[in-house]
Parts: sequence; structure tokens; C-alpha cells
Amino acid sequence: MFPIHHFLYLGALLFCAGLIVVITKKNMIMVLLGIELMLNASNLNLVAFNQFHPGTINGQMFALFVIIVAVCEAAVGLAIVIQVYRYYQTSVPGEVNELSD
Amino acid sequence: MVSFIISEKYSWIVSFLAPFLLLINALSAGIVFYYTWNNQPLAIEWTWFPVGGTSMKTGIYIDNISALMLVVVTLISFLVNLYSVGYMAGDRDIKRYFAMLGFFTFSMLGVVVADNLLIIFIFWELVGFSSYMLIGHWNEKPEAADAAKRAFILNRIGDAGFLIGLMIIWSNTGNFNIAELRSVTTMAPWQTAASLGIFCGIIGKSAQFPLFAWLPDAMEGPTPVSALIHAATMVAAGVFLLARVHFLFTPAALDVVAITGCLTALMGSLAAIAQYDLKKILAYSTISQLGLMVTALGAAAPEAAMLHLFTHAFFKACLFLAAGSVIHTLHQAQHQSHTTFDVQDIRNLGGLRSKLPYTFLIFVLSGSALAGIPLFSGFLSKDAILTSLLAWPGDGFSWRWLIFVGVIITSFLTVLYTFRMIWSVFAGPEKSTTQLTVAEAPAIMRAPMTVLAAASIWLIVSWNPFDFSGWIYSGLFAGMPSHSHLISIFSTVWILGALGVAYTLRERTFHSPLLLNGFYLNRVYKEFVETPVLQVTQLTEQLDKKWIDGLLHFSAYMQLIVAHVTGWFDRAIIDGVVDDAASMAKGVGSFIRTFQSGKIQLYIFWAAFAIIIFIIWTLL
Repeated sequence: MFPIHHFLYLGALLFCAGLIVVITKKNMIMVLLGIELMLNASNLNLVAFNQFHPGTINGQMFALFVIIVAVCEAAVGLAIVIQVYRYYQTSVPGEVNELSD
Repeated sequence: MVSFIISEKYSWIVSFLAPFLLLINALSAGIVFYYTWNNQPLAIEWTWFPVGGTSMKTGIYIDNISALMLVVVTLISFLVNLYSVGYMAGDRDIKRYFAMLGFFTFSMLGVVVADNLLIIFIFWELVGFSSYMLIGHWNEKPEAADAAKRAFILNRIGDAGFLIGLMIIWSNTGNFNIAELRSVTTMAPWQTAASLGIFCGIIGKSAQFPLFAWLPDAMEGPTPVSALIHAATMVAAGVFLLARVHFLFTPAALDVVAITGCLTALMGSLAAIAQYDLKKILAYSTISQLGLMVTALGAAAPEAAMLHLFTHAFFKACLFLAAGSVIHTLHQAQHQSHTTFDVQDIRNLGGLRSKLPYTFLIFVLSGSALAGIPLFSGFLSKDAILTSLLAWPGDGFSWRWLIFVGVIITSFLTVLYTFRMIWSVFAGPEKSTTQLTVAEAPAIMRAPMTVLAAASIWLIVSWNPFDFSGWIYSGLFAGMPSHSHLISIFSTVWILGALGVAYTLRERTFHSPLLLNGFYLNRVYKEFVETPVLQVTQLTEQLDKKWIDGLLHFSAYMQLIVAHVTGWFDRAIIDGVVDDAASMAKGVGSFIRTFQSGKIQLYIFWAAFAIIIFIIWTLL
């Protein structure tokens, strides 16, 4: 196989991309997408580590759990987005700022 | 001492206090005189103020000369004051007049009793100032103000020389005291310079050539002022000073003095012949007589000069007062008859002998003394001068005989102009005064004149009408009096001859513009002194405007530039620093404020950032 650092670099890249999406997108749903991207990047990392330590399936199991959690969290997140939209009439995360003065 | 403290007080209670105080003055002077005549001189000294290592002293020194002058000054001042009560009655500024008269007497007495050249100089200046005030008394007349200014300025020019002389004396002996200066016995070159310096002061004050132009113009003042100042006291101050410091003069300086005196005497008498203003004749006569006194001083005979000063004071003051009486009575008569002619012009007067007999008598008495007619005091003092001049040249022929001849000519001319004056005013037909009813002067004016006329006869000098070595002369003169019969006889003959010549010339008038205008000395001053000085002042004014002001403008401009630079510096840099600090605080503040902005994504960003930093930090 090829060395591990390719996977790790890819994972890092994806993670950064997800982070950037979360930070800079002006749509809350896009923020959720970014979160998903970050989660998937971490999944990639996990599986890659698993690949280079054969004999166990810890990494893959963890990745499975992460996927499930991601799904639940995405559902809840969407529900929150819809409620926020109903209250604030906007889907731009920056405009939901009643906490500041 | 008491005398000048009294006369220092300004008499505001007008006409009565002044003569009374001066009477006390004169009496106390008499007392002082009695005590110090031919006795030990009265010398008191006290320290005035210390300057560095030395201390300036001031004091009083009254010896024979001072005592004599004390009596002369106070007596004549008293008589003039008395006379002024009548003459100046009704004048607007009479208070100031009497105050100034008192002040003048005070300063004159200060000159007389001071023992110290510096104090003499101070009082000298005060005398000059008070004479300025008195000459310009009627200051609404521009000629009077001009004359007063001219008197003071010419006096001051002489005083500049005086000051230089004083400085030379100080730097060479460190002492101003007259008694102590007497101990300087060597004849050093600095003494010539110092004595010439002092003589400059005397030229200014006693109206010698070339600074005599102020005296004829000073006749603008009231006549009693002329009597006091110009006959008796102020102009005599110079002669007095010269007699006081006579020991300081080297023979070379004395020669200069004699030449100046002789020249002045000749010029004065020549000018007097051509004048037609009554007071101006007397003024030039004063100049001439002063020249005689100074000549005597130059011939190393201070006692003859002082004798002549003494007699001259009396008869000249008398002449002035008599002239004043004529002027005064004619003015009164003019007011009543509303005619206008110049009462002082002798061409307008004549034949007043019948209308003013008393004044005529006074004039004759004092005029004879002036002319030096035998049996009068003037004759004796002129004799003294002539005798000393005879003894002066030594053996052989020297230029000093010319001085002698000059003095003889002067006495001839004196007779001429005196006779002319008296004749034109009192004898002959009446010219412009025929319509006027003229009354004699009031008693208060006649009394002083009488006293002074009585002092003009020979008795005041000595018992013998032909011997001048009476009590005054022997009091002043330290050695044996040398008396020359030749001189007495010669001068008698000479004077009587002059009288005869004057009588024959009595109707002739003498025209000479040169003499009339006093040898045009005033013009000379204007051309040679005034105009160059004015040009120099204009030049310096131009210089000042262009360059000095230019320099000032330039430096102001430079300052403006510097101001701009500092302004820029202040604004840009100093303020910039402060502003930047403030804006930095603002920036940081607004930056940190974003942590609380409520923007979710910003929170996430900063959290991620912090985690990255943390990871890097732990990894390194």
C-alpha cells in the first residue's frame, strides 16, 4: 500500500475545508453541510488508521458510530434551523445575534 | 549754610515772602562773611555715598572768595527780588517766577560754597536749568522759548568739556576736593587738558567766545532776571570757578584763557556799539566785561578778576534794573495811551531826562562805573586788571602786549557805547515818547536801584579813589599789592579822552550788520553745526529704517518659519503619536468586542483558531 500520510493529509484537507465552510457560509444549511464534511474527514482518518493496524476493526466501528451520531445530529440540527427560521425569518447565521448588545 | 536752606523753599505766598526770605538770606550771608573773612576758611565735609572702594564726599568750603561771592549773590538776589515785586506785578505766572528765582539763588549759592568739584558741577547744571526756566518765563513768546533753549544748550556744550576735565582730574588724582587738589604742585600735561576742560564749562556759562551767542538772545527774559543772572551771578559763576581752581591751570592753559578773554572783550564791545536795543547793549557789555575778567584770570591775577566781578555785579545789575525801570514805565504809559512802539529800541527813545530824572541819575552813576570813569568803582577794578596785565608779560616783547592793547581798546569802546546808550535814551529831543505821560518807577523798584548805584562809587573798594588795593583786594591777594601810578594816570587820561570822543560822536549813528547781529554767530552755528548734525541724523534715520528694521523683519520672518515648523511637528508627530495610541486602543477594543458579537460563525472561527494555536504550542 502507499504510506499513511496521504490519507492523513486528505483527512486534514477535508477537515479544513469543512471548517472553512462552517465559518464562511452565509446559509445555515451550508453550515450543517460543513459539519458533515468535518465529521466525514474524521471518519476518513479513523478508517485510515484502522487500515494500517490490521487485525482489529476498532477504527471502522468507531467510524460507524460517528456516522450514526452525525445522522442524528443532522436531523436535530435541521429541526433547529427550521425553528430558527420560523422565529427570525432569516437563514443567515450572523443575523441571529440577540445574545449580543 | 542756613542761607541756602532757606532759599531752597519755594515761595508760594507770592510777593511778600520771597523778598523777606532773601533778606534773611542776605543777612545770614553777611554773618558768615564776617566770620570767615581773612580768617581760617570754614570747611565742613561729610561722606555722601560710597562707590566701590572710594566714597564720594560732599561738603562746604568757605574761604575769602566764597564769602565774598556769598554776599554778592545774596545781596543782589534780594535786591532783584524786591525790584521784581514791582516789575512783575500782575504777571500771570508770578508764583513760578519767584519760585525759580529762589531756586536759582539756591543753586548759585551751592556753586559758591561747595568744596568739591563734583558738587560744583551738580549745582552748575542746576544754575543752568534755573536760568533756562527764568529766561523762558514768558513762554508764550516763541523767541523766549528759543532763547531759553539756546542758553541751556550752549551751556551744556560747555559742560561737556567741564565733565571731561573732571574726569581727567579724577583719573589722575582720584579726588575732587578743592583743598586737597591744591596740594598738587607739579605741572603735568594732564593738568593742561583738565584745566582746558573746565575752561570749556566756563566758556559756556560765562559767555566767552565762541559760546556767547546765548546771552544777547537771553534778553527775552524779564529784566530783573537779566539783572540777576546775566549781570551779577550766573555769568560770574564761571569767573568764580576759575578763581577757585586757578592753581590747577598750567601757564599754557592760562594763555588760552587770556586770549579767549581778550577776544571776547573786543567782540563784545564792538558789537555793543552797533546795537540799538537797550538790553542788547547791556548784554554785549556784559560779554565784554566778562572777557575782561577772564583775561585777568589768564594773566594769573585772580584777585583783580574777583574785584572786577564784585564791582561789575553791582553796577551792571544797577544798569539792568534802571533799564528795566525805563521799559516798565514806558510800558505803563503805552497802555494808557494805546500807542505801540518798541520801548527797548533806543532809536525810539530820547530826551527822557526831564520825564525820568531819577532813573537818569541812576543810569549816569552806574554807567560811569561801567565806563571806568575815575571816582567810580569800575575805574578801580579796571585799574587792577590793567596793572596785573602790565606785570604779566615779563621782559621783552611778547604777544602778551597785544592782550594789553586789546584791553585798552575795549575800555575805550566801553566808554563809547555807554555814553551812546545814555545819550540816546535821555538826552536830545524826544522821539516817540512825546505824547506819553510817563511817571517815575514805583518806590519798590527805585530802592534797589539806589542801593546798587551807591555801591558803584569808589568807596566800596577803598578809601583812596585811585588805589584799588582796598579791603577786597588785599583780602584776596596773598602777596604785596603792586600798584602802578602810571596806570592810574594813563587810564584816567584815556577814559576822559574817550568821553570826549564819545561826546563829539554823539549824534552819529553806527551801522554795521556784522556787529549788529553779534558777528552772525547764530548763523555760524546753524550752518556749521546744526545742518551737519541734522544731516547725520537723517542719514542714521535712513540706516535705521532700512537696515535695522530690515534685520528685524527678517528675524521676525525666520521666527515665523520656525513657528510653522514646530507647529507641524506638534501636529503631525506629537499629536500623531497620541492619536495613534488612541486609535490603537480603539482598534483593539473594537477587535475584542467582536468576541461578543453574537455571530456564531465568528465564535467558531476563534475557537478553531485558539485550538490550532494550542496544538502548535504543545507540539513545539
